Amino acid sequence: MIQIKNLHKSFGDFEVLKGVDLHVKQGEVVVILGPSGSGKSTVLRCINKLEEPTSGTIIVDGYDIMDHRTDINHVRTEATMVFQQFNLFPHMSVLENVTLGPIKVRGMSRNEANKLGLDLLGKVGLEEKAHNYPEQLSGGQKQRVAIARSLALRPKVILFDEPTSALDPELVGEVLEVMKRLAREGMTMVVVTHEMGFAKDVADRVIFIDEGRIQEEAEPETFFSNPRHPRLRDFLSKVVEH
Amino acid sequence: MAFDFEPSVMIDSIPTLLVGAKMTIIITVGGLFFGFLLGAIAGLMKLSRNMFVRRIAGVYVETIRGTPMLVQAMFLYFGLPMAIGIRIPAVVAGIVIIAVNSGAYIAEIVRGAVQSINVGQMEAGRTIGLTRGQTMRYIIWPQAFKRMIPPLGNQFIISLKDTSLLMIIGVGELLRTGDEIVAVNFRAFEVYLTVGIMYLCMTMSIAKALGMLEKRLHLKSQR
Ligand SMILES: Nc1ncnc2c1ncn2[C@@H]1O[C@H](COP(=O)(O)OP(=O)(O)O)[C@@H](O)[C@H]1O
Ligand SMILES: [Mg+2]
Repeated sequence: MIQIKNLHKSFGDFEVLKGVDLHVKQGEVVVILGPSGSGKSTVLRCINKLEEPTSGTIIVDGYDIMDHRTDINHVRTEATMVFQQFNLFPHMSVLENVTLGPIKVRGMSRNEANKLGLDLLGKVGLEEKAHNYPEQLSGGQKQRVAIARSLALRPKVILFDEPTSALDPELVGEVLEVMKRLAREGMTMVVVTHEMGFAKDVADRVIFIDEGRIQEEAEPETFFSNPRHPRLRDFLSKVVEH
Repeated sequence: MAFDFEPSVMIDSIPTLLVGAKMTIIITVGGLFFGFLLGAIAGLMKLSRNMFVRRIAGVYVETIRGTPMLVQAMFLYFGLPMAIGIRIPAVVAGIVIIAVNSGAYIAEIVRGAVQSINVGQMEAGRTIGLTRGQTMRYIIWPQAFKRMIPPLGNQFIISLKDTSLLMIIGVGELLRTGDEIVAVNFRAFEVYLTVGIMYLCMTMSIAKALGMLEKRLHLKSQR
């Protein structure tokens, strides 16, 4: 589904990614761990080209995103993103947030989109909030709407960038619950998170990024019980478990 | 020489002054309509990724803001005909001057409002597959527009008052109409007082109307 080869990314003189290789298969859940500033977000943002990669190849759902002929808007609907800060559209109702993509991008009729939107809002447990505005929701509810907004495009993969990091601790669970359900239903997901519990329970593979490179990559079992890289051992010892 | 305040002069001047006020309104509304279009285009041009496009808008804004409106009006109405041989009607010249002038200031208002919208909004729009233009239209602009209303109101009021400068090129707007009355009856105190009150009524109406618009948008989106 996603093939990244030798990805480099610099901001000016500062090289953030120094050759990242990553393959994600259909239906797989890959969790990316790493210290703050290690380039986790940058990897995700290169996948849907919110950041322009400096060099390397990235193939998403068969599309070479480095090729200028590729319709990047289409690729983004197949590899959509959920942000730490939700980034809901504050001037639109919850339902409008969810239906905007299907209507404007997928060319769905409003009726059809509303049906789909209500269905998806039901799936994240927020059907009754359809006609509220984002600012009337809690952080956890906002993030669940953001997930529904992504799902509305029927994407092939969803990229999560620290989806629970901006939430009060008591609201983290409801968002993780929705994500777990998606994983069980076979959604392909790449998740940057500090939630070790989620990584252990849900991930098919866990990746540790540090200093612009993938330092370790393993199934959660091995990853957590037998970390080889010293930086990873150090990292894991510092992270509080939930 | 004792001064007698004559309220009746004020009353008597009203019908004539209203004709001038009507011209003031025509020029203000026409000028601001085109000024907003011009300002929105120039403001968005200033945000373009293309440096050449940004530069064009920059030259326009700097030129207009850096020269007095009176000079622009005299140049357009008296200067340009010397070169091209046609004099446009004073009213049209007035509308053009107000449009070009307010447009330069509105460009900065538009640019500032659009830039004040969190970059996350553009990114969220792009990640659901909208193009840059679509994101601008459906996500950024509606939010930015709400933030433009107070400074736009301010600019509308400034432009309305600026129309009084157009008396210099012979536009029969409110101040010039008052001037003509004074030339006949010499009651400068009463006539200019009435003129001032009329301007005040008009500027207060603008403030009121924009306040109502702001409230409506506020209610509509709950924020
Ligand atoms: N747009 C940018 N311009 C300059 N530097 C950036 C930009 N985005 C990220 N960086 C830098 O790149 C590094 C990695 O950032 P990021 O991928 O956000 O890290 P992480 O998500 O792992 O915390 C950080 O040092 C950050 O300061
Ligand atoms: Mg990050």
